[in-house]
Amino acid sequence: MLIWITRRVLSVIPVLFGVTLAVFSMLYLVPGDPVKMMLAEFVTTPDQVAQMRAQLHLDEPLLRQYLRFVGNALRGDLGTSIRSRRPVAAEIGENVGSTAQLALGSMAVAVAIGVPLGLLAAILRNSWLDVGSMVVALLGVSMPSFWLGLLLIFAFSLHLGWLPATGGGDLPHLILPSVTLGAIASALIARLTRSSMLEVLGQDYVRTAQAKGLAWWGVVVRHALKNALIPVVTIFGLQFGSLLARAVIVETVFSRPGLGRLIVGGILAKDFPLVQGTVLFVATAYVVINVLVDVAYAFIDPRIRFG
Amino acid sequence: MRSARSRMSLAGWMLALVTAAAWGPAAHAADAPGGTLVIGLDQEPPTLDPHASPSAVTYQVIASVTENLLYRGPDGKLLPWLAESWSTSADGRGVTFKLRHDVKFHDGTPFNADAVKFNFDRIVDPKFKAGGARAALAGYAGSKVLDEFTVQVTFETPYSPFLNYAASGPLSMVSPKAVRESGDQVHTRPVGSGPFTVKDYVAKDHTTIVRNPAYTRRAPWSDRSGPPLLESVVWKFVPEAGTRVTTLESGETQGIYLVPAQSLPRLEKNTAVRVEKMPWPGVPRIWLLNVTKPPTDDVKVRRAINYAVDRDAFLATVYKGTGLKAFAPLTAAMLDDPSLRQAYPFDPARAKALLGEAGWAPGADGIRAKGGQRLEIVLNAIEYGGGPDPTAQLIQSSLHDVGIDVKIKAQARPPWYEDNYRCATNGPVMFLRSVDDDGLYALFHSSLVGANFNWSCVKNPKLDQLLSDGRREADPAKRRAIYLAIEKLALDEALTVPLVDELSVWAFRANVQGVKYNWNAYPVMSDAVMRK
Repeated sequence: MLIWITRRVLSVIPVLFGVTLAVFSMLYLVPGDPVKMMLAEFVTTPDQVAQMRAQLHLDEPLLRQYLRFVGNALRGDLGTSIRSRRPVAAEIGENVGSTAQLALGSMAVAVAIGVPLGLLAAILRNSWLDVGSMVVALLGVSMPSFWLGLLLIFAFSLHLGWLPATGGGDLPHLILPSVTLGAIASALIARLTRSSMLEVLGQDYVRTAQAKGLAWWGVVVRHALKNALIPVVTIFGLQFGSLLARAVIVETVFSRPGLGRLIVGGILAKDFPLVQGTVLFVATAYVVINVLVDVAYAFIDPRIRFG
Repeated sequence: MRSARSRMSLAGWMLALVTAAAWGPAAHAADAPGGTLVIGLDQEPPTLDPHASPSAVTYQVIASVTENLLYRGPDGKLLPWLAESWSTSADGRGVTFKLRHDVKFHDGTPFNADAVKFNFDRIVDPKFKAGGARAALAGYAGSKVLDEFTVQVTFETPYSPFLNYAASGPLSMVSPKAVRESGDQVHTRPVGSGPFTVKDYVAKDHTTIVRNPAYTRRAPWSDRSGPPLLESVVWKFVPEAGTRVTTLESGETQGIYLVPAQSLPRLEKNTAVRVEKMPWPGVPRIWLLNVTKPPTDDVKVRRAINYAVDRDAFLATVYKGTGLKAFAPLTAAMLDDPSLRQAYPFDPARAKALLGEAGWAPGADGIRAKGGQRLEIVLNAIEYGGGPDPTAQLIQSSLHDVGIDVKIKAQARPPWYEDNYRCATNGPVMFLRSVDDDGLYALFHSSLVGANFNWSCVKNPKLDQLLSDGRREADPAKRRAIYLAIEKLALDEALTVPLVDELSVWAFRANVQGVKYNWNAYPVMSDAVMRK
């Protein structure tokens, strides 16, 4: 078990190496001179351009630049934002909490809607409820999040006046964004729960349990559901990535602070250090979360460790 | 800096638009001071440091926080503010300001001649990354403290735009002590001397400015002395336009900036809401035509384009009341003249005739051709994520009607800039905010090809001379004549296609009253109230 975990953790190193390389080369893959681009809206003298180039160490050989980038990142120094002139790490620190809240909130919504819906659809297979819930799930997967967000604002802020449309902070501000993101993720979870549940319900041990005369609901919940949820757990890790992608939109629609808006703001402002630092952070977080999910998976399902 | 006649018509026009902003002194007594006004802005300022910012949103937030030597209201007249009086030296190179004696910054330090020198020196310091402020001090030679409250600012050559710049946000005054001691904080907490002080700044969320109780003076836009009537103003950053409009309708905000055109008719019908429109000073939304790249190197083609573009269609389909027809490289608020308005009426027949004269004959597919070459023009457009600028598509369809095939090169900002610097396309659509007619210098001076913003890539000695003359000339009437000559030359050479004079569009709940605007179209808040 320990060996398996160690191996899994070590496998992260080449991934992170690739991430740093990709993030680093970003600066050189974008057409144009990065320094000129960063200073495009300012009136500058050639001196200032040269000074900026030196400040960002862009006048050094590529390899040294890369090593410096990785070395600084390892020490937690992600550079300084061009736009705000503050450390990128501090900018991330200010925004990560809000995005984490949104991630947890939307996951909670996704599970609360997705698992019961998938469960019901599987049990009542081919009934109107099965078809209906899968249609709803299909809608959820296809619905653009900005559209759903605006609909929710329209209903709950403008017409009913129950919840605020914008801002970060306390629970009321979290509800609409979480529902927007969570509803979309719940569709996937519902579909996955349904198919995984159907598979488990067809297994011998479920039939055996029923044959023993156990209460049907007990069998479904205690025997089948527990096993059916294993693949659902993996999806959490993967969902985290798409959740961040959608958070960009949801954070914009609801004017919430967060990493998504930080990255987009950085891209629009041509703030390379900010974008590099934040992308590196997010990619690392994604990798770490997936490792954690894998480890958790190994605990839940013994077959994994020996597979 | 323009004739009384043109200013009058503008003032009348603005009155019609901003009737609801009328605000009589009698109303003060009826409204107890206090209350928090929440205003949704379309973007977050990159910094609140007036000297570092390249962005209008900074000055929208701090227009009542930091103060300037001079003030310029919507009528364009220069008024005393931190300076009680000013005089220009005979050679036009120096301006002497006599300062008020009773001004203190929010941190309690006094405002004096040393502070003015510190502020201007800071802007030109090569170690400091100045924003729009640097260009406003072009040719700055230094400031001399004549006595505690008298300062002389000099330039290497006569520089008449300076007075207008001295009245605009980028040259506003911050506390030297705060700059020296607060380090990075100056980006989120500029310490000025105005009626409001910055209380907090929460990135990606909001910034709050609160009433400065020590403000006992009369702000130049006000008819009363003393601190603001509101307790505080919260500037909330709400980038999504639909959300922003909804928050105003639900009352979550009591004001919003940048009303999207598609929501304007709805808000104008809503009696609980009032829309206010102010003209932007500067260069309108304009298509700069690259005079070095075929086929726009031919003046006949450039003139034909000007006749062929249907500006009324722009206003009707995209702008819907958030803009006015543009006629020249400066907005009508800056310089208006009948001769400019008549330059290029919408006249497709004339456009076709000009193209014919230039040798471009109608081709089989509706696109003209000359010697086997199709008449193709590449328009450089910024891709904002939701497709290119809608004006680009309207240009495309207008020009297709006369047989020009416009290819829209929609791209992200960095390569967009790069193409402009390299004069690689037939030109971009852009706009500029500038408080002085001298904004045209950036647009047309030959020294700025390959830089910001001579993207017509024009090198014309006559234009260069006129642009320099405009900087030297101090007499307002003569200056106006110079800039009118520049505009006429630019139109005659068809260096640009002026498209739309955009308006700064704000909307407030009806109970919010007394918001006023300065010349830059930024709101000043010290007389604003919220009625019950």
